[in-house]
Order: sequence, then C-alpha cells, then structure tokens
Amino acid sequence: MGGFLLGGPIAGLAAERNHKTEKTYDLPTGEARTGAAIYQKMCADCHGDKGQGVKDEYDEPLHGNRPLQSLVKRIARTMPDDNVGACVGDDASKVAAYIYESFYSPKAQARLNPPEFDLSRLTISQYRTSVADLVGRFRPGFDRALGPQHGLKAHYSGLQLEKPADPAATADAKPADSKPLTKKEDKKRPRVQFDRVDSQVDFHFAAASPDPEKMEPEEFSVRWEGSIIAEETGTYEFIVKSENGVRLAVNDMKNLLVDAWVSSGPDVREEKRTVFLLGGRAYPISLEFFKFKDKTASIELLWKTPHGVVEKIPQQFLSPERLRETMIVKTTFPADDRSVGYERGTGVSKEWDAATTDAAIEVAEHVDAHLDELTTTKSSDPNRVDRLKQFARKFAEIAFRRPLSDEDYRHFIGHQFEVAKTPEIAVKRAVLYTLKSPRFLYPEIPKAGKPDGYDIAERLALSLWDSLPDIPLLRAAAEGKLQTHDQIVAQANRMMADPRTKAKMHGFFHYWLELERAEGIQKDPKSFPEFDAQVLADLRTSLFLFLDQVVWSDKSDYRELLQANYLLLNERLAKLYDKSVSGEGFQRVEFDPNRRSGVVTHPYLLAAFASSKQTSPIHRGVFLTRTIVGMTLKPPPMAVAFEDAKFDSHLTMREKITELTKNTNCMGCHGTINPLGFSLENYDAIGRWRTQDNHKPVNAVTDFSTDEGDKIHLTGARDLVKFAAETPSGHRAFIHLLFQYAVKQEVNVYGPDELENLRQAFTSSGFNIRKLLSDIAVTAAMRGMPEPEAKVAQESKPSTAPKPL
Amino acid sequence: MSTLNRRQFLRQLGVSSAALPFLAGLPSLMGASTPQRRQRVIIMFSPNGTLPNEFWPEAADELVLKPIMEPLNPFKDRTLVINGICNKIRGDGDNHMRGMSCLLTANELLPGNIRGGGGTPAGWASSISIDQEIKNFLQGQKDMRTRFGSLEFGVAVPDRADPWTRMSYAGANQPVAPIDNPYQMFGKMYGRMKDRDDLASVLDDVREDLTRVSAKLSARDKALLDQHVTIVRNLEQDLKHSDKDAKMAHPMPELDPSVELVNDNTPQISRMQIDLLVNSLANDMTRIATLQYMRSVGQAQMRWLGISEGHHSLSHEPDTNQDSYAKLKKINTWFAGELAYLAKRLAETPEPAGEGSMLDHTLIVWTNELGKGNTHALDNIPCVMIGGAPGFKMGRSVKLEKTPHNRLWLTVAHAMGHTKLDTFGKADLCAGGPLSLA
Repeated sequence: MGGFLLGGPIAGLAAERNHKTEKTYDLPTGEARTGAAIYQKMCADCHGDKGQGVKDEYDEPLHGNRPLQSLVKRIARTMPDDNVGACVGDDASKVAAYIYESFYSPKAQARLNPPEFDLSRLTISQYRTSVADLVGRFRPGFDRALGPQHGLKAHYSGLQLEKPADPAATADAKPADSKPLTKKEDKKRPRVQFDRVDSQVDFHFAAASPDPEKMEPEEFSVRWEGSIIAEETGTYEFIVKSENGVRLAVNDMKNLLVDAWVSSGPDVREEKRTVFLLGGRAYPISLEFFKFKDKTASIELLWKTPHGVVEKIPQQFLSPERLRETMIVKTTFPADDRSVGYERGTGVSKEWDAATTDAAIEVAEHVDAHLDELTTTKSSDPNRVDRLKQFARKFAEIAFRRPLSDEDYRHFIGHQFEVAKTPEIAVKRAVLYTLKSPRFLYPEIPKAGKPDGYDIAERLALSLWDSLPDIPLLRAAAEGKLQTHDQIVAQANRMMADPRTKAKMHGFFHYWLELERAEGIQKDPKSFPEFDAQVLADLRTSLFLFLDQVVWSDKSDYRELLQANYLLLNERLAKLYDKSVSGEGFQRVEFDPNRRSGVVTHPYLLAAFASSKQTSPIHRGVFLTRTIVGMTLKPPPMAVAFEDAKFDSHLTMREKITELTKNTNCMGCHGTINPLGFSLENYDAIGRWRTQDNHKPVNAVTDFSTDEGDKIHLTGARDLVKFAAETPSGHRAFIHLLFQYAVKQEVNVYGPDELENLRQAFTSSGFNIRKLLSDIAVTAAMRGMPEPEAKVAQESKPSTAPKPL
Repeated sequence: MSTLNRRQFLRQLGVSSAALPFLAGLPSLMGASTPQRRQRVIIMFSPNGTLPNEFWPEAADELVLKPIMEPLNPFKDRTLVINGICNKIRGDGDNHMRGMSCLLTANELLPGNIRGGGGTPAGWASSISIDQEIKNFLQGQKDMRTRFGSLEFGVAVPDRADPWTRMSYAGANQPVAPIDNPYQMFGKMYGRMKDRDDLASVLDDVREDLTRVSAKLSARDKALLDQHVTIVRNLEQDLKHSDKDAKMAHPMPELDPSVELVNDNTPQISRMQIDLLVNSLANDMTRIATLQYMRSVGQAQMRWLGISEGHHSLSHEPDTNQDSYAKLKKINTWFAGELAYLAKRLAETPEPAGEGSMLDHTLIVWTNELGKGNTHALDNIPCVMIGGAPGFKMGRSVKLEKTPHNRLWLTVAHAMGHTKLDTFGKADLCAGGPLSLA
C-alpha cells in the first residue's frame, strides 16, 4: 500500500479503499509516477499493454467516445475492478489522460488505425434495385410518376337485356328447358359495354348483372387494369375470391399469377399466390373476370403486404394508369454481412457467386424472352443485328456506370457476335458477362487520381438510391458538369425527390429504430386481448406515415421526430390508445405533451422493446442510450437473463431491474441505462399510458448523468426527449447511423473531422434531415477530390475541409 | 471423377442431391444384386380424331397396317391395335371437351362456366387421370420410386388452361400443365446444366476482367478479388468436366439453343421433346410420361406438310371433300411418324440395368380425343399400343364390342403392377374389369 500514500491530494482516499483485498502495485513516486507507469502496473494485466485487451481478462479493446473527464470519474469509481478505490484522485487523472491520448480517443484510434475505404460488392438490395433500373432503362416510362387518381380502370362488357316478354304472349313463351344458345348465336346479340374507375374490386352481383337495367345477367365479363403501389420490399400475397372465372397478372403480364378461368361449381374459391416486389415502386396489374351461367357472381381482390394482414387492396394503393413491367430478380442470395450493424457487401463466397450466376441467367432469359420489346426490333428487321449489338453495348455501359471503350466493347461483347450461333444467343451471353463482371458487381473500384464525373455519379446513385445512375446523372458526367461542389449538390437535390430516395429512407428507419424487434411480436392474449396482428400492422403503418410526413415536410426537422406530441391513428388504434377517430384512414391525434413525444413513445417501438407481458426498461434504456442520446455502451461482460420468477412478486418492474443491476460492475453502464429506461415506465408492454405497475404507482422520475458530468432530472419521456433533441451527442449518433446506412463506409474514412462538420451543418440548417442526407451524399461523392475544390465546397462551413485520402 | 465427387459437384452447382439423373438408375447404387425389371408407360395424344378407313387395320393375328400407320411398319410385330374402345362419358361439356378432359380420367366433368360448341358449360375433370393414378402408385413403392414420378411433355400447346388444353389431372379440379418448351423441360431435368455452354463462353472473360481490375488494387482489396477469381475458376472447371464421367450411361442431351419456339419449327421441337422424353426414361427420372400434341380442337397449320388450313377446320369437312381428306391423311400420318421416331429411339437404346432394349419394357399408347372429327364421334377412339408390357400380346389387331375406355386404363394400370385397382373413373362403366389382351 506504499504507493498511494505519497503524491498529491488524496483526501478521503483511505475511506474508499477496498478492504476486501490488499494488493501491492509497486508504483514509482514523484515525477516517475506518470500515467504510463500507473497504467503498466495497475491496468495492463487486464487491458493489455496497448489497451488491446487480454483474453479471458477483458477482451474488449479500450476505445470509445467518452470525454476525458468521464473517463477519470469512471476509473476512480470502478477501477481496478478487483480493487476499487486503488486508483483515485491524481492517479486517476494521470492514467486517464495517458489512456485517452494513447489509444482511447477517436483521434488516437484514427492515428493508430487510419480507416480505409472498404472495397465492397453490391449488397443484395443494391443488386436487385440496380437490375430493376438497368432493364427498366429499356422500357421508357417505366418509373414515371403516377397521377393522383386512385382505383383501377374497369371495362364492363355484356349482352343487352332482351325485351321483357309481352304479358299477353306468356302462353307462347319458350319452354324452360330450351336449348342453350350457341356461341355463334350469342355473337349476333347486341352488346352492352361501359368503362369507369372502380375504387376497389369488391363486388357481389348475386344473380344480377353489373347494370341490371341494361345488361343480361347470365353472362358478362369485366376487366380491371392499372397499377398497384408497393411501399415495402418483400413478399406480397395476392388473393382473388370468386365463384366465377378469374385471371390475375401482376407485374409479369405474360405469365398469369392466378389462372382460375375455369370454375367448377357454385362455391366461392379463394386463389392465393405470392410475388416478391421491390418497395417504393408501382407495378402493372390486370384482373379479368367472367360469368357464364353460374348461379351467382362475385369478386374480391385482396392482398397481404409483407407486414400487413389480409385486406381488400385499399384504394390508395391502386392507380388506373398502367405502368410497364419491372424486372425483379427472384434468385435468393446468401445474407449480407451485418457484423458491424448495417448490411455491407464485404466478402464473397461460393454461395454468393452461385447466386450471382443464377441471377445473371435469370436476367439473360428475361432479356431473351422480351428481346423484341427491349430492343425495339423485330426478327425480320434488316438492321436487326446492328440494333442487337447496340443494345448489348448500352446494357453494359449502363451496368458498368460509364461508357465502354471501343476496345473493351470489341473484346467482350463484339466478340460474342462473331462466335455465337445466332445474334440472339450473343445478346444472352453479353448480358451474362455484364452481370458477372466485377465492373458491375463492385460499384466503386478504387483507383488512383481524382474521381471523374462518372465516379461522382455512381456514388450519388448508390448513397441516395442504392442503384445505378440515371440518364440526367450520366449526361451531366459526360458533359463535364459533375465536378464542382455546387453542381454535385444540385444533382443530389434533384435525386432527393425521386421515390427511390424515399424507399432508401424506409430502409434507414428500419435500421435506426431497430424495427427487426417488431417482427412478429406476440403479446400475452390475457393481458392484451385486443393486440392482434391487425393492430401490429396498423401501428407499423402509423409509425411509417409519421416518419415519412416529418422527413418529407418542408422543415424535415429531426427534433420533430423526437418531440411531436401527436400520433397518426385510425379508428382501431384510437380505441386501443384511448382516443377517438371517426372516418377512414389515419388521422393526426393530439396528446398531452407529457404523454406522447415522437418516436420514443410511439407504441410500435414501445411494444417492440418489451416482452409479451411486461415492459423491458433495459432494452428501452439501451436503445435510448445508444441511439437517441448517443452515448457509447459496450456489450455486457456477462449476459444475464431476466427471470421474473426470481423476484419478489410484489415488486414493480423498476424495482426488479434496480435489484438485478445493483452490483458495482453492472452499474458502470446501468447507471446510465436504467434511468433512461425507467423514464418510460409509464408505457406498458403495448405502449399504453399507465400509472400503476403491479398495483403500485409507476415511478418514472429519475436522475441521469451525462458524459460531461451534468445531472439531468427526468420526470418522464418529455424531459428525456427535450434533452436528447438538443444534445450534440444525440445528433452525432443520428448522423453517424445515417451516414453508415447510406454510404456503407465508416465516416472516419472521409476524414477525422467529417462527423463534426456534418453535425455543425446539421445544427445550422435547423436539423434538416434531407439537407443532412444531401450533405452525406455529397461528402461521399467528393471523396478524393483535391483540396482546392474541396475548400471551395467548405466555404459555407466554419470548420476545416475533410482531408483527401 | 468418382460417383461421390459427382454428387458433391452437382450439389455445388445448385442441382440438389435429389437430382442425380446419371446415378439413379445404376444398379450398384441401388444395392440390388439382380437387375430390376422396369416397366414404363407413355401416353401420346393427337387431336381431332382420325380417318377410320385409312386407319383401322382388319382385325387379324397378323398386322397389316393401313396408310396412316405406314410409318409404324418397322415395329408392327410389337404393335397392338385395339378397335372398339369408346369414351362413354356424358354429362356436362361438349364432345371435344369430354374427349380431352375425360380421356384419361374416364369420368364426368364438373359443372362450370366454360362453354363448348354445344351442350352445357363445364368445369374441370372430377377425378384423377390414369397417368397420375399410376404415378401415385409407383411413388408409393420404394423400389419403383423416381425423381419426378411423371413428366408431362407437350408440343405446340397453347398457353392457356382450359378443358381443351389439359388431359392430365392430379385430382378433381387439379389440371396438370404439360411443358411444351424443350428448354424449360431441359431446365427442369438438368437444372443449371442447361446454361453450361453459355456460361463456359463468358466465364473466361469474367476471370480476365477480375484479374485486370484486381491488378490495380491495394493488397487488402486484392485479397477479396483473388478469392472471387478462385471461385469463378472452380465453376469453370466443374462445368468443363461435368460430362466426362465414363460411368454415365446416358449423358445429358445436347439441345440446339437456337430453335425459335414458333409453329413452323414444330417438327424440330417435336423431335427435341421426344429425345428429352427418352432421356428422362433412360435415366429413370420417371416411368410415366404423357406426350400431348397441340390440344383438343387444335387448329395447327401444318405448313411443314404444305398445309395452310387449320387442322380442326379440315377435320370438319365432309368425307367427300377429297382435298381435305388427303390433307387429314397427311396430318395423321405425320403424327404416326412422330410415334415411329419415339419407338425407334426406345428400340435403339439398351435397357439400362436390364436386358433387351428400352422399347421391350415400355408401353406406348397412342390415342385421340375423338373417333372421327366431322361427326365428333366418341366411339372407336384410336388406340395403338407399341412396345411391351405384361399382359399384352403384340403384333396383331383386335376388335372389341363397344368397350368403355375405363377398362382400357384398368388394363394399363394392372400391367404397371397396380393390380389392386378394381375400378377407374366412373365405376359403373368398369364392369368386366381389365381387358384380356394377352
């Protein structure tokens, strides 16, 4: 114990000494008692001589985002962990400073391991979106915006009602079992036809016709056409219910999804088929229906979206305009690497290569089957071969995101036309080569020198759309108009308005709010009998509608995401959450600001961060700590399961958790996690407001210490959110997540100051999310631009420009 | 390559281990010490009836073939012609619909919404067809199970599902669609092997591209691409060696990749389908197959025979129209020629794991929806058997007394070992049970 009796102020230290163990450290005295020396003696055994960690002692390397003061306090309070109190006061300050500067701080880490740009291949969703847009390029208008009208175009066709028999002539009326009319005879009868737009397909004609005054009820047909709008990527189930003949085609108009033209009997049949669709797009749909002498007639068109329940397709997802088919790759790929949290395309495997082969064959066959349409030629055209060659070249250029040199064209594509048996086979092979080529699969191949316009174009298209550059981008690159900061910003802003950006942001919401937890949650039916799959689907819709509304509003204010005191509810949800809404659809419902505050108190999230019966303050607390407040948390050294049965049955959840985590080692992190989690205890396992937990009043009042050492008093969600919405670390967390998700690289690759630059710009823009996304895309696009141009870009920013790599 | 490596290799190519066409038939794998006797059945369909005077031979113990069946002469000692089989199914639907959709089910159609040229509207068949019935029986026997159980081949079948385009039914309301695209059928049988040539022609370029690109990268990035190059090289090698196993009895057929699936190429497509059919039987992928030419009321314009009128229209001309009569004769002779090609391919292929040729162990049944086109007759439906099966004495022609075709199918089922089948289709038409044709 000789060591710490000497040296600087050590008042009260004797009292903090851990009396359980006596341990000698043999520390030097005076000037030799440096931070480094203290570290070597007291810390290195568990943390490694360079903070890298020691197997079986403390595996995690010592680095993080805590400021220095926080480190000092943490060490004094909890370290060394087998002799707490042995390193305090001046010792703690010195060793903390040493640790901080040598390897803990982000700056130190950046110095020791400068982050590199990771070469990656396309992720699964990037692959699919790129192929859809690539083939779509040969179907002009495939991605045009739909008009505002909703519903499907309907064409009704039947026979004119025969004039009613003259009552005087009933005696001569035809006998009841006269021979049925032949097709020829039928053809001679006058027809009745009319068109209209039906908001939904849900008709029960019984024994009548669609127009009982004019149209014969025995036989008639209807055809509905238009497009369906798919918001989410995933598997959609389409259901047609009818006792008559029906045929349904969705997206692929050549191969029917449902062919139930032949009806065999009077019972209503239900035909169900699934199809995988990419979100954020619309697809052509055609539904044909006919009745011939069936007793009754009816038809319903329903669907089940990836996270929805079976419902008649709502009007707002139908359009009477018919778009062209989108090529959606059906091949399944092995899952992308998610070891760092977001999906990246690092690493190749045999399975992945096999999948790219299958997918390439799928696309080659699609092109082959639609060759005339995609190349706008016929096999009898005299210049057919030239047109096919042009197609093959253009296909490769769009896929490779830049023009193909004549030499490369001749070698890889022209060559196929010379050796293949027919030009059609040459096209197929050209498509196969293109989609297996690294120039398609690895979108950003590092190269020396300044990025050119095409590099910038492909980076913008990837960050904002997860896809290939579109025509305006490629044109700008070709004309040299994609070089200056202003030009690049202008393109980014144009691209922001595209539905593909909205689709990418949906993916971001999923990632940011950890919505995977909400997949298939089941709540205890006794405690929450009304919480069924329909409610879950509605809550998800409510959340996404809210997120979309805020992000795509003028202000696009991040703070509103956290602080909004309203929820978008429909009738069903309103009832469950103690409000009332009348009429169709989701409406804005205001709440007491102390009871609802943005995403943090949205019932979908609260239900996701909860078990089937009870709340989970730890899960909620961890989410709030990391994602909303933006503090670092290491994983727990030991995973401890929460077992309700182990606790006194009279305790509230707060009391149980407090009991479970009271150990000093736990409190290192739980000192932060718990207060945040408890502040949401007024919301039960399905996010409803409650004031009682286990027959005791809920206590959501807590004190929470920030990294800087400030104590914040929280009386509930509103206080927490007020703090989080204004704190720079919270903004940093949001920016960091959005950056990683959009660009799929570490932000430090773009310079050690980049995150701070973005944060300052975020603040000055009024926390505008769209502007942030644009800044991120522009930063990623301009990687490697030489300083002078980058400096021009930074004129508006107060801090230094990101250093080029 | 040893047989085990082949299994691995096929799995790697994405062809599942169930898809071992080359191996499945080899006795060494089955563990059987004696060769197994395999019996097969192929039902071939052609539409619009026939010309009875040009078709039916005299009932005799020695077969003298009439003009339409002339192409079958090389096989006449293995041919059995049965006159007097009648489709006695009435009820909903017109004669064509019942001729087609009750042909293999021998049972009535369900009431429905599809209107024919006359009669009441009808739906699908109301029970299982004989090919599917026999398939289920065989798949239930451990030693007779095959990968597919049955394969339904088509030639020039229109792309719609109605009672005129379907003759196979897995059960009531469950039509089974034939595959008339040889490339699609090839893909079904051989998986990704169908793309072998296309892939082989591009993988070299892909590897070159990868090498070029990786040359300019940092060491860390290069490692990723090098891994990729290795994987591609392995795929190339696997594809190259896929056909070289000497143990393979029946190699994957070579399909001409450039045949456009249009009407005028029908003869070529027919031969491609027959080759695939023989290949599937040789590799024991199935023991039951159907081969459907066109559909009931087929209107094919057989320009390859110099005929531009639709088949169905011709079939409705009176017998006195000599021009149509001659054309119908040509058409039906062409169908007989395709049957002859099928028989020839089976005859020249040795029976794997057995004795004699495959034809010795296969019963081909050529039939039709109608007896005669212009009368829509459902009596005396063409029935020509070629090959060999237990219980059939070949090389002759017999005339039966207006026999319901239920009994014909019972006989075929019994020949395939399904001897517990007492009735098939409409039960009261099965009086007398299987026919005695031995």
